[in-house]
Amino acid sequence: MEISWLQAILLGVFACLSSMPGMGGSSIGNYTLGRPLVGGLVCGLILGDLQAGILVGCAMQIIYVALVTPGGTVSADVRAVSYIGIPLAMVALKSYGLDAGSAEGSALATSFGAMVGTLGTVLFYGTATINLLWQHIGWKAVENRQYKRLYLIDMGLPWISHLICSFIPTVIMCKLGADVVELIKTALPMDGIAMKTLFTVGSLLPCVGIAILLKQIVKQVTDFIPFLFGFVLAASMGINLVSATVVAALFAIFNYKIKMLSVNKVAVAGDYEEEEEEI
Amino acid sequence: MEKKLSKKALSKSFHNWYYGHLTCFSQEHMQTFGYLCAMLPLVEELYDTEDDKAKAMNTYTAFFNTEPQLGTVVVGMTAGLEEARANGADDVDDETINSLRAGLMGPVAGIGDSLVVGTVIPILLGIAMGMSTGGSPLGAIFYIIVWNLFAYFGMKFMYYKGYQLGGKAVDFLIGAQGEALRESISMLGGIVIGAVSATWVSVTTSLKLFNDAGEPYLVLQDKLNDVFPGLLTAIFIVICWFLMAKKRLSPIKVMLLLVVVAFVGVLVGFFNPGLTY
Repeated sequence: MEISWLQAILLGVFACLSSMPGMGGSSIGNYTLGRPLVGGLVCGLILGDLQAGILVGCAMQIIYVALVTPGGTVSADVRAVSYIGIPLAMVALKSYGLDAGSAEGSALATSFGAMVGTLGTVLFYGTATINLLWQHIGWKAVENRQYKRLYLIDMGLPWISHLICSFIPTVIMCKLGADVVELIKTALPMDGIAMKTLFTVGSLLPCVGIAILLKQIVKQVTDFIPFLFGFVLAASMGINLVSATVVAALFAIFNYKIKMLSVNKVAVAGDYEEEEEEI
Repeated sequence: MEKKLSKKALSKSFHNWYYGHLTCFSQEHMQTFGYLCAMLPLVEELYDTEDDKAKAMNTYTAFFNTEPQLGTVVVGMTAGLEEARANGADDVDDETINSLRAGLMGPVAGIGDSLVVGTVIPILLGIAMGMSTGGSPLGAIFYIIVWNLFAYFGMKFMYYKGYQLGGKAVDFLIGAQGEALRESISMLGGIVIGAVSATWVSVTTSLKLFNDAGEPYLVLQDKLNDVFPGLLTAIFIVICWFLMAKKRLSPIKVMLLLVVVAFVGVLVGFFNPGLTY
């Protein structure tokens, strides 16, 4: 499977839109086009194999189900995952003759996605650094009271950062990718240790994605209980995600009501004291 | 005559923020330029002289960064404050506006990250992945529509609530009520993430011990599942959490460590993805 110039260019444009910080804005760009599931849809449409695109996107999505970027630090770059990783994984699957829906297929896709996503953080820091240049021009504009120029600086000039850090890397990687995949295929046989390791890594990596999210939620050991409760709902009781969400919401409401009960108690006591002071 | 922001200016300000809050992101100024662009239509409408405009715009050159979706409420609040200042309110100056912005950045980011990025998006993605099983585009389309409607109208709601209510709009975010809310959202997020991992993550071992007759007498995976279904998956997640939260390893280091674990596991026969041509 070859990726044509036109296809590579289209993928490049989507890379510009979807990155964090991207030209699509964070709601449409990062949180929509940048999600591997949506990236899978887009790549599938561009490369003419919708089903494989979605399956690869799904596999990669699990690692990045909760890509939080607290304070602008990133552990993976969505443009690289979705618009370099997915096309290359699709090429690799075709080349290996693997079914994208099989366990091996998704493990390969996952390893690819994580590898490219991690390397892609370079692109994130690159973009943010080049943007400093435009912001420098921006401060000059503010000083000189040329406020209209702020629009160009905030929404126009960063396209140049993306031409350098999103468009060109994506186009090159997608064009070269097929050859590289071919090379890996001849160098590393499927039943060798290296490939087995790669596929095993693919099945382990989603744990990191989940753990990143847990890091936010779990501060002490007892905070694991809600997580394990949800795990039991799905793994032992076979409840699907929508239903699990409803159960979770019920517990959250209980918790909130109980907490507020004690808050209101304190507040009422506080009001009483104030009244006394007035007298 | 009292100055009142027009619908057009407010809408332009909101859309500038909706689209532009992160487009010109840098590690140094983060969302500051997005904020300036959001305030510009308001400042231009409220003030007539260049000096007044410059004075108002200078207020917003102070650093700003928060969770952008929920953070829209802060932009709305400053729109209301700026209007009050243009009408000559004594108690609104650079300092009140900026201490409000600086004071809210943290709490809003904390709640926004756990509510939007940590709960809403994973839930939507979890449902969407379920709908896309087998390669159907349905799930992806579902996510695109539902998330964008939620984000657009949610942000719009936050903006106008902030504008109308001012400080009252975020009272629930700070103090004891905010704490209760944050804790409850965390609980909701925790349960859902547990369900997401049990549904979508699967770590399995291929370790089997055979007796003399060549029949397996110990299939470790089955034994582990008898103890707790999905035990191995849960263990790996907890280990990853431990390494990142307690040992302060970066996600990338943990990933590299997993490569080593996978390699050793394959060598000793603990892991075997079962590849064949």
